[in-house]
Amino acid sequence: MSKFSKQWLISFAVSGVIMAIAALAISWVVSADDSTVHASGHGTGKSKQHNAEMATAMVGEDVSAPGKETDTDYLLNLPPATPYSAGRVREFTLIAGEHEIEIATGLKFAAWTLTQPGDRPSVPGPVLRVTEGDLVRITLVNRSSQPHTLHTHGIHPAKQDGVLEMIQPGEEFTYEFIAGPSGVQPYHCHAMPLKKHIGKGLYGTLIIDPKTPPKPADREMAMIMNSYDTNFDGENEVYTVNGRAFFYAKYPIKVKRGELNRIYLANMTENDPLNSFHTHGNFFEYRPIGFLNPPQKTDIVTQIQGDRGIIDIRFPETGLYMFHAHQTEFGDLGWMGFFEVIA
Amino acid sequence: MNPTETTTERTTIEKEQPPEMTPRPSTIRMVLTLLIPALILGVIALTVSSNGDTILTGFGHNPPAADELVVERVEFHPGKIELHVINPQTDAIAPAIVLVDSAMVNSFTVNGDVHVGGSHAIGSHDRSTLSFDYPWIEDDPYLISIVSTSGVPTEVEVPAAVPAQKLSTKSFGWGAVLGILVGFVPVALGLLWLPALRHLSQNALAGFLAFTAGLLLFLAIEAGAEGLEMQSALIPAFGGAGVVAMGIVVSMAALALTGRLLRKGAETGARRSGAATAALSGTALAWLVAIGIGLHNLGEGLAIGSSFASGASSLAISLVIGFMIHNVTEGIGIAAPIARSGDRLGIARGVALAAIAGLPAVLGIWAGRHIADPLFATLCFALAAGAALQVVIEIVRSLRNGEVGLGATSVQVGFAAGVLAMWATGILAG
Repeated sequence: MSKFSKQWLISFAVSGVIMAIAALAISWVVSADDSTVHASGHGTGKSKQHNAEMATAMVGEDVSAPGKETDTDYLLNLPPATPYSAGRVREFTLIAGEHEIEIATGLKFAAWTLTQPGDRPSVPGPVLRVTEGDLVRITLVNRSSQPHTLHTHGIHPAKQDGVLEMIQPGEEFTYEFIAGPSGVQPYHCHAMPLKKHIGKGLYGTLIIDPKTPPKPADREMAMIMNSYDTNFDGENEVYTVNGRAFFYAKYPIKVKRGELNRIYLANMTENDPLNSFHTHGNFFEYRPIGFLNPPQKTDIVTQIQGDRGIIDIRFPETGLYMFHAHQTEFGDLGWMGFFEVIA
Repeated sequence: MNPTETTTERTTIEKEQPPEMTPRPSTIRMVLTLLIPALILGVIALTVSSNGDTILTGFGHNPPAADELVVERVEFHPGKIELHVINPQTDAIAPAIVLVDSAMVNSFTVNGDVHVGGSHAIGSHDRSTLSFDYPWIEDDPYLISIVSTSGVPTEVEVPAAVPAQKLSTKSFGWGAVLGILVGFVPVALGLLWLPALRHLSQNALAGFLAFTAGLLLFLAIEAGAEGLEMQSALIPAFGGAGVVAMGIVVSMAALALTGRLLRKGAETGARRSGAATAALSGTALAWLVAIGIGLHNLGEGLAIGSSFASGASSLAISLVIGFMIHNVTEGIGIAAPIARSGDRLGIARGVALAAIAGLPAVLGIWAGRHIADPLFATLCFALAAGAALQVVIEIVRSLRNGEVGLGATSVQVGFAAGVLAMWATGILAG
């Protein structure tokens, strides 16, 4: 019995000693590891950043963006305003279709598009430009598989509102109204479910110029802030201005120093209540809706979906000036570009 | 072929065959009968595949491909993030853009090539590495999304960015230290109780052997569950729950075979020494227990290594000590059959047993830290489960043939105590 307890005790003692050594060894390993982490850190606090080249904003050819430089010219070089003339009729045709478009580099989106005959299908749709008092006839030709309508902002009879009568696939319908009031009046499909029809890309800009022409601008362009929910889970994967992620970061919009640039801005973003437009190194005049409202001086504009207005901006110095949504997430997901101001 | 010739041939063969035996078919005919079903299958498969559209559209509308990748591993290198992905579907998937925390990454490479707008499609069941510059911050969580050209995002959540460890002698060295500490050391310590165990009565020793069976059953169930959990990360083509069943069956068969070989050795030994009985000796059983526990520790090491690598859980020192205490029980499990049989155990054999049972933890930690392949991990856990089960069977057999038998109170209490001990010490290991 004495032999038994002796061996038992020795076993325990040996086990205990080895355990203690092992525990010490582990704490030593771990503390040694900790010290290497802290020693090689930047010495400012706990976090350790592993820097990469991309810490600066990207601009120019290295930026990944879809398409060629001229692809948004239909929005950057607007048709000129036509002076008011009583009783003039303006006719347009918009074709509703289904086309795959590239919204970010390599990323295809099965879009629903509104296109003028002969034009390449795109999101946003074309800019229709009329003058206050014109009799406007817009024919919607439905070449898609879904019923659609065309709803314009502005003042018009209920029958021309594009809400109650569906234009079935293969059918067409001509909306007719007297243009007014002046300003940026977006057009879009108003078929149900609305979120789907707008989210798919059925929108564009209608500009109604005032009867009395405003101060002329040297350069006029249209911009639509939009978004794409590529898997329709209610969250956008991509945000853009004029339909393509980072397009104006790759191809900055070239403007001349000192010239007056007029931007017809509208917001058709789905899934988020607001979008915003912010320019760097400058302030601008913003008129909600259009020239019927007084301007405000600002460098940031916030618009709810369907909201729009006119921006008058002049750059006093040459260089690259960023513009983007000041919701950083939208900017990081594609809604970011540059003006390149040249002499 | 000449028909007359064949007839003559057949008659000759029939004449040669004794009437009471079934006629042995010619080799040609045997090959033909083997080939015919395969040929028919080939023809049917060809016909079906060339008319696939007709059949499927008749059946219903096929939805578009899911276009979701499986991200097997996210590695954080200096200024760079690497995504190791596999395409689980039969259609190719082309990644278009990569988002990190809802911000688009300007450009990335696929297998080292600069990727331009969905230019690199990943083939069915192919693996690819997507890599891009990113100023990531250590210990921060990340949500990474790979959006296919068709707009489908594959999302992966990283609980904490942990720097990828390069294969270095340093990381291998410290991995080995950790593995030895959680695997080898506690098993060896448990074995040190062997001299003390030898003084117990046969009844108590049978109880300790049952204790071993109990702890192994606990490990078998734990490893099986772990394997089933692991397999959910596998792409469907690589099997699912069946992989776990396969691993269990294979390791059970392998262990049973090992047991038979050991028993044969024991029989030869018994015949030489003129002994009457030829049961599986205590030491032989201890070898099997050691193998079972070794496979378990391989899985345990794998879990430690991979959770450390993926930033899923931090390796607190209290957890490491918990693992040690947990594994001391396993050493007792190896000692029990030797103590019961009264076999002698030299130091060399003792170290070898502890090494078999404990050192696989080192391999597991290495593999988990650097490979982290879900198929490999699933198989490891399945093998561990099967091995532990087979050893339980061997122990039950040994107890039944012993003088105490299976019905003794000590055996039943020991069995329950084994399960309970694993559960209780498992709390320490988190």
